[in-house]
Amino acid sequence: MSFRQKLLLLFAATILLCVAVMSVSVYGTMRQSFEQANQDRASSVAAQFRSEFQRRGQEVERKVEAVAASETVQRIALEINRGASSGAGDTNAYPSEARALATQQQLDFLELVDRQGTILSSAQWQAKFGYPEPAIASSTGPAGAFLKREDLPNGPTLGLFAVRAVHIGEQPLFVIGGERLDQGFLSTLDIPAGTRVLLYQNLDPKWSPQSLLDLNGPAAGADRIGPLIEKVRSTGQETHGVIYWTADSADAEVFHAIPLIGQNQQLMGILLVGSSRRPLIELQRRVISTAMLVGGAGILVAVLASLWFGARVTRPVVSLAQAAHRVAAGDLAAKVEVESSDELGELAASFNRMTEDLLQQKDRAVQAERVAAWRELARRLAHELKNPLFPLQVTVENLMRAKTKSPEMFEEVFQEGTATLLAEINNLKTIIGRFSEFSKMPQPQRRPTQVNDVLRSVLRVFQAQLQANNNITVRTDLAADLPEISADPDLLHRALSNLALNAIDAMPQGGELTLRTAVAGSGEPGARVTISVSDTGSGLTPEECARLFTPYYTTKQHGTGLGLAIAQSVVSDHGGKISVESTKEKGTTFRIELPGDAASAVAAAPTDAWKN
Amino acid sequence: MKRIAFLLVALISLACAAAPATRPRYGGTLRVVMQSAPTTLELPGLNAPTDYWDIARLLSLVGDNLVKIDAEDRPQPALALAWQHDSASRHWQFTLRHGVKFHDGSPASSSAIAQILGALHADWNVRASGDSLNIDTDAPIPSLLAELALPRNLIVTRNASGVPLGTGPFRVVDFQPGKSLKLAASEDSWAGRPFLDAIEIEFGKSLRDQALALELGRADVIEATPQAATTALRIRTASSLPVELMALVFTTNSKVQDIHLRQALALSIDRKPTQSVLLKGAGEPTACILPNWMTGYSAAFSTQVNVQRAKVLLADSRQPAMTLSYDPRDPQAQLIAERIALNAREAGITVLVSLSGADDIRLVRIALPSPDPALALREMARQLALPQPVLHGNTVEDLYQAEHALLEGSNVISLFHLPLASAAGARVHDWAPDRLGSWNLADVWLEDSR
Repeated sequence: MSFRQKLLLLFAATILLCVAVMSVSVYGTMRQSFEQANQDRASSVAAQFRSEFQRRGQEVERKVEAVAASETVQRIALEINRGASSGAGDTNAYPSEARALATQQQLDFLELVDRQGTILSSAQWQAKFGYPEPAIASSTGPAGAFLKREDLPNGPTLGLFAVRAVHIGEQPLFVIGGERLDQGFLSTLDIPAGTRVLLYQNLDPKWSPQSLLDLNGPAAGADRIGPLIEKVRSTGQETHGVIYWTADSADAEVFHAIPLIGQNQQLMGILLVGSSRRPLIELQRRVISTAMLVGGAGILVAVLASLWFGARVTRPVVSLAQAAHRVAAGDLAAKVEVESSDELGELAASFNRMTEDLLQQKDRAVQAERVAAWRELARRLAHELKNPLFPLQVTVENLMRAKTKSPEMFEEVFQEGTATLLAEINNLKTIIGRFSEFSKMPQPQRRPTQVNDVLRSVLRVFQAQLQANNNITVRTDLAADLPEISADPDLLHRALSNLALNAIDAMPQGGELTLRTAVAGSGEPGARVTISVSDTGSGLTPEECARLFTPYYTTKQHGTGLGLAIAQSVVSDHGGKISVESTKEKGTTFRIELPGDAASAVAAAPTDAWKN
Repeated sequence: MKRIAFLLVALISLACAAAPATRPRYGGTLRVVMQSAPTTLELPGLNAPTDYWDIARLLSLVGDNLVKIDAEDRPQPALALAWQHDSASRHWQFTLRHGVKFHDGSPASSSAIAQILGALHADWNVRASGDSLNIDTDAPIPSLLAELALPRNLIVTRNASGVPLGTGPFRVVDFQPGKSLKLAASEDSWAGRPFLDAIEIEFGKSLRDQALALELGRADVIEATPQAATTALRIRTASSLPVELMALVFTTNSKVQDIHLRQALALSIDRKPTQSVLLKGAGEPTACILPNWMTGYSAAFSTQVNVQRAKVLLADSRQPAMTLSYDPRDPQAQLIAERIALNAREAGITVLVSLSGADDIRLVRIALPSPDPALALREMARQLALPQPVLHGNTVEDLYQAEHALLEGSNVISLFHLPLASAAGARVHDWAPDRLGSWNLADVWLEDSR
């Protein structure tokens, strides 16, 4: 992964993390705020209903007071007092009066009850005259409205009642009237949009789903609200809860369960004010979707900005990396454009200074090496030329001395002297030829070459010399599966001949010459053929090893110092490398590694050659 | 002296001026309003008691029986002037009134009457012999006269359109089923032409509407509840003996087959408050079929409420909810039914008052069909879908045993015996319903006949 990618990833991760943290924080706060707002709204609606409930109670009281003040009720009160005073019969009943009065005052329930609590007239159940009304026993004064269970022919129901006493004479007449507390009552309530009201008539000892009413009668889904009602039934306290109707939380409702207490603190009913969570949930969803949209757009913009910024930030670094790569490849002229004055700009400037320094050092080193090489060449030339020149000088002086001092022997001396002169001249020519040959190293003419064959050819060249020197034994360890490589067999023969000659020269007292080939990484793309030439001579010092491949450097008394240089040149031209390992008094091993793949060898040749 | 003579002349003049107001006048149309709305002028079969007696009341204006039974259970001549029978009461001979004609002019001869009665009673051998009519039966029929006085034995024939043709004081002019009936005076009636020219009867009016129509002068004769007390000076009410039975009848398909439950229901009903409040004291609480004035033994059938006993009876029986239906045209029926349901609740019995769906119990009214106790018991048993009573003799003891046996199955819970009441406007004269509730409109005349 590139630095730019890492930087981009880091930027993106940072932005995502920030957005996520911010989203969670905002969502949590918003959710909490919405929940609180929803609760407040439901509480407000519940309070509104409490007020409405109280108002309806006052309305019932007014109606009952109107009934109590009516002429009919006054007349009945008078009649029952007259009957009591005259000791008349006990069958005071007015089966139809209450109904007429109830219709007049639009009351659902109305009963006229005597002092003993006996119903004289009942609007809701006309046939109920003569039966006791238990509510009178506990409510005899102008108290407020209260809830009461009312038995009707088709079953019990719940009503909001008020009682008023009419005093004409000694016997009071009680008027107890009320309104039915059912779906009809609910339909008359002023219900805000998004809310609904349910009423549970607590008429049975056990939870009864049928007793939960909405505007249309028994409410659907009563079982889900059941636990909330049971909680109020068990505690008698107001409570609230969220009812989830479906998996969609927008369908949920917050219900405030308000206990409706009747006489004797009995729980007569539960008013459930339901407030839909849909508006808030939808608002919440809109906010979230907007936030996600904005957040997504922000992330996208941030990523694009990160891309641009990363590219801008990493461009000097990339340039530096590319330049460093070029330097590593040997291009010390590589430069980095300095675009800024910050740390990266300073780094680029430093890099440029460093490469300039390296280039200068290289030039100086090359120059120094060149001077050293020239000095070595001069020394070697002087040495090589001085050796033949001395015999030439002596021979010429002998000829001059013989001519002057012993003319009779001149002819003989002349013969000997010219022979020597020719020999030495030949020697000089040989020396000059070698230098000339080194300067004219040809480019390899590659073809499939079996290295083992080349080695065997080298051995055949030195076979006579080795046979002459019986003290040297030759050992070959040639790999049988050595692949052919793309090489110039003549140049390779020349390089290996130099190594073999050096090895033979290193063992004047005899020893063992070992030629070995092997395959490194057989079958793989980077397979290499290794050739090693070992001797058991006196070995070399590390300093000698370090300068061994320098042209014209030699440890031999009559060497030109060009053999190993030629060998190294050949190996380099083939994309290989040559190394030396030597242990003093134990011997030296030259190891050549050549690429097994001809094509790659050709391609890699310049670089590898530069490296070596 | 002159002064005295003047006063005498004035008094005589006043008396002469007042005399035409009390003398019957011919003419005029009597407007009658009824609660029921019969769709036919044929007597229905079983289990339609209300319509049955209303149609019978209408047909009695059109037709005559061979004999009539008065309130004292005495036979009176009608189409038959005289009768005799053998000692076994199997062979009866009736001497018919001469010259009687049906409304279409055809003679109501012995053969025509024999044909009508023979068609009504296949088990009788009815033969015409001159002006006489012979009825022979295999079994003795000591109450044949009472039987012949029943509405179903009215001597009525029908024309091609099905219009009843009788020998009574009025003939049918127009009949709109369920709406109205127009009758015209029969000029050839054997009892003489009635004073009224016509009678217009309007059907399907509630008692409240009837009372209102009477108050406003839009009706002359109406039905009324016995307890209805009118304060209008120009309106007269007449009430009969308690001749109508109000009872609970368990229907044939009632799911209440447990006799203990039925008995418990009977024990839970407190009749007294209902009678005193809802019926305004009219009628008599009863637990038997025949009224006390007819039999004298109704006290032997207890009407006392006994909730505790009812609960004991219910202890080992199932208590399904019962549906109680009533006649919606009856203004008191709903309240009485609800009171019964309320009473039943005290004993732990659930009774639902409803007019929809299948009913288990019906609150019915059945008019006393005949002043003859035995015949009345048989007829009422037939109307109540009870088995025919077995009478071993003509004594009260026999009647009691028969009625007791009828009520043992608790298929019927008798509640009240109620009088029939009616009211007439001030312009109606000589309006004298009898003790059994018959209107006797043939003798009525109108003051301002139009």
